[in-house]
Amino acid sequence: MTTPVLAVEGLDVEFPSYGEAPVRALHGLDLSIGEQEIVGLVGESGSGKTTLARAIMQLVPPPGRISQGSVSFEGRDLSKLDEEQLRTLRGRAMSMVIANPRSELNPLLTVGQQIGNILKYHTGCKGRELRERVIEMLKEVRIPDPERRYDAFPHELSGGMAQRVVMAIALICNPRLVISDDATSGLDVTVQAQVLELLKRLAERHRTAMLFITRDIGITAHFCDRVAIIYGGEIMEIATRARFFANPMHPYSVLLLAAFSHNPKLRSYWLKEGEAAAEARPAETGCPFAPRCVRVREHCRSVHPELRELEAGHHVRCHFPVERRA
Amino acid sequence: MTLLDVKNLVQHFPTGRGKAVQAVNGVDFTVDAGETLALVGESGSGKTTIGRCVLGLIQPTGGSILFHGEPMGGRRTLRSPELRGRMQLVFQEPAESLDPRIVVGRTIGEPMAALGASRADREKAVRLAAQRVGLPERLLGSYPAELSMGLQQRVGIARAVVSRPELIVLDEPTSALDPSARAEIIDLLIRLQKELGTAYLFISHDLSTVRYLSHRVAVLYLGSIVEQGPSAELFAAPRHPYSVGLLASVLLPNPELRRESTIRLEGEIPSPIDLPPGCPLEGRCPLAIARCREMPPVETVSPGHTVRCWRHADVAQMEQAVDYFERFQIEAERILTPAPSKQEEQWAN
Amino acid sequence: MRLLSYLGQRLLFVAPQLVGILFVSFLLVKLIPGDPAVLMLGPFATPDGLARLRTELGLDRTVVEQFLIYLGNVVQGDLGTSWQTTMPVTSDLAQRFPATLELVTLGLLVALAIGLPLGVAGARYKRGLLRTGADYYGLLAGALPDFWLGLVLIYVFYTMLGWAPAPLGRIDFAVIPPEPVTGALLIDSLIAGNWEAFRSAAGHLVLPVLTLGLINAGPILKMTQATTERMLDSDFSRYAELCGLPRKVVVAQALRNALPSVITIVSVLYGFLLGGAVLVEIVFSWGGAGQYAVQGVLNADLNPVLGFVLYSAVLSLFIYLIVDLLYFLIDPRTR
Repeated sequence: MTTPVLAVEGLDVEFPSYGEAPVRALHGLDLSIGEQEIVGLVGESGSGKTTLARAIMQLVPPPGRISQGSVSFEGRDLSKLDEEQLRTLRGRAMSMVIANPRSELNPLLTVGQQIGNILKYHTGCKGRELRERVIEMLKEVRIPDPERRYDAFPHELSGGMAQRVVMAIALICNPRLVISDDATSGLDVTVQAQVLELLKRLAERHRTAMLFITRDIGITAHFCDRVAIIYGGEIMEIATRARFFANPMHPYSVLLLAAFSHNPKLRSYWLKEGEAAAEARPAETGCPFAPRCVRVREHCRSVHPELRELEAGHHVRCHFPVERRA
Repeated sequence: MTLLDVKNLVQHFPTGRGKAVQAVNGVDFTVDAGETLALVGESGSGKTTIGRCVLGLIQPTGGSILFHGEPMGGRRTLRSPELRGRMQLVFQEPAESLDPRIVVGRTIGEPMAALGASRADREKAVRLAAQRVGLPERLLGSYPAELSMGLQQRVGIARAVVSRPELIVLDEPTSALDPSARAEIIDLLIRLQKELGTAYLFISHDLSTVRYLSHRVAVLYLGSIVEQGPSAELFAAPRHPYSVGLLASVLLPNPELRRESTIRLEGEIPSPIDLPPGCPLEGRCPLAIARCREMPPVETVSPGHTVRCWRHADVAQMEQAVDYFERFQIEAERILTPAPSKQEEQWAN
Repeated sequence: MRLLSYLGQRLLFVAPQLVGILFVSFLLVKLIPGDPAVLMLGPFATPDGLARLRTELGLDRTVVEQFLIYLGNVVQGDLGTSWQTTMPVTSDLAQRFPATLELVTLGLLVALAIGLPLGVAGARYKRGLLRTGADYYGLLAGALPDFWLGLVLIYVFYTMLGWAPAPLGRIDFAVIPPEPVTGALLIDSLIAGNWEAFRSAAGHLVLPVLTLGLINAGPILKMTQATTERMLDSDFSRYAELCGLPRKVVVAQALRNALPSVITIVSVLYGFLLGGAVLVEIVFSWGGAGQYAVQGVLNADLNPVLGFVLYSAVLSLFIYLIVDLLYFLIDPRTR
């Protein structure tokens, strides 16, 4: 078996909280991404998905810290690298596409400078060659009139255009892994579709693996090879796309799908009745999803479920996985 | 009965130097009592502006808005004495629309206070509204910051229904919420409409929600309604290239279900300043022909279904008539229907 | 294009702004109790003499009339005479204003040289000795009065160590000052090639400049640190870090984004110090414009005060214009 591009094993990230036990943002998280594979990671706000992205880049926002587990990139344990080695990996071998591109771009620098900086500080490329390569990249992300856009400032770009600039920044060094963190959430639907298709095509062309983090499970159905569901800082279910959507087995996965249903009766099987059950916090002991689960039993509240492989390549963290009539 | 009648609504905002943002350019629609009309469009389509005009919050540049046959605007707004409590608004960002220094119970009661209700009546109405939206009574004394986003939006909805309005303008009420919280809010809105018979003008870019919640849909592009019709029909057989592009962009959580279309929209919505006179989609439309530089007329393709496109007949030929949302519902039934778990049975024994 | 039309608009408003400032100062100075005629003629003045002098000075007319007469003279370049120095105000200020300008400009340059690097370092290293030092420095500089620091410096470097020249003016009495061109001794002595005068003038500048620099580095440090820190916490800095840009590049970019705030505080300090450095000027017997204006106020000598106000206002407006130009260069969003 070849080494995966990314292997996250048993990762715990903690945020100390004053006078109390630290808050666990991620707990025993396992995830691996193979070469040129696109893995979709679906979670709602507060599920730990952004923390995971930052932990992979070894830049957990302080005061958070990785308290256990490891992140390996192409077989190298990132915790064993020093800051300078990590820096040369970031943006070059593994890069990020983020949401709100307009605030993530420096308002005082031109598009060309911002993309060019990445190339300059990672490869030492400069002068005319730098400019040519940046313009080439702008063409690749389908920015019309790239020669002119090279000198544009972020505030002169539309949201979709700014998102493409961020994609150019992420891809200019031909990374092995791109992490996309809710990258298309602020875009209009038609623009989102364009950007997603472009991103997928570029990932193929650059032979890049991708971790596609999103809160929209619909996107993963069309753009990812595998789908993982995260809740309370743990992977609840992970499977190939076809298997996942044909037979989702975790009640939380089904709940996410049920949110798209127009049939209140079908949804009532999965949405807990009563006052805004969706607001319940993940449980500390037992199954984190227990407070929101319609199928919860006493066992779930006390025993933490393991991630089990129930079909080939289909792992589920649930004591009582969902079954269906054939 | 027609509750709201909007005719040839125009809203231009001058930007100086003789130019204007042409936010709304001649829009016609009606909303009947107790029905939901969805205004669908992307940012810059003018949907929010229309909502504000309807409530009389901004004075339209042209056209008329009739509420119960009487024109809106000028001194007649949702705050004027005769209309107070009869129209309400629910905002996109619940946190921003609630006063952080006032307990939510008082916020909900504000419309009643404006109507001059007695203290006892007000409290009764607030309790009833809270009960209707599933807001536990013990939370009425909390401040907005103490509530989750889903609960905050329930407060916003309770404030809107407390005065039993005839029309509620819902301005993207679910787009800030997580999917499961969104589903709860939509269920709530549907239930409230059944109970109270309120009409909704539902402003949204989320087509899945629109398909679910609305009886009729108007598709907006650059301030014009390009297509309008009953939801089921428009989603199954869109006749305007923009509606097709919009529907083809929807990503339902089923890998098999995405509208396959030869019509692909390129680029983005242009700025609504200095619009050319023809069809607003002309620059982005793969079907555009020379004639599209003239504004196409509104044509009726079936009862209640109108479209504004020279080539709508070609679109009808090119596109399969499939409602993917409907197909998703059918497919989803298998996924969402659980069989009794063997393991569970074991545990039960 | 937008820059030109903007500048045009700005210049259009300069004249009315100046008239407004002058009028307000005129009224304020008139409110100061004390009759110039009495002060000028002394205790043995006759009522007749006083009345004649009042008429001569125009003091018997209404305030508005007096102001219009003054304004008419200003337009012709006549700022009146100071009865204390018996010299035209223009020639007094030609001597004294450059003295203050030289002092304040150098003082602020020193303040920038101290405050900017310390502020950036404080923002970059959120913990550690450097940050603690920067915090204490900011506090201290904010708490100490400048004239007191001036006196301490004089005591240590002149009285005790004898390294600095006597705090009596801008140049040694024994040294022949250079022919005035700009009025700034350093520049004029360079133009004249007079090294002896240059050394002496520079020597006299060290302590007052250091006084102003050390004190005013405080606000500059605070502003630099706070703004740079905010920029380092902002989304684009975080993203630059996620992209693996070297830390020093990220910090440099953050500083660049923080520069408009730093420029603002420097310009505010500049305008303030034109008059605000007066205590330091007195301590070092500097003979600057601030000192001149204060003397005028104390002795109901109207013309020097108004002349000083006019000069300061013109200079402040000019500085703000430069600040706007700098914003324009730094931030593309203002273009």
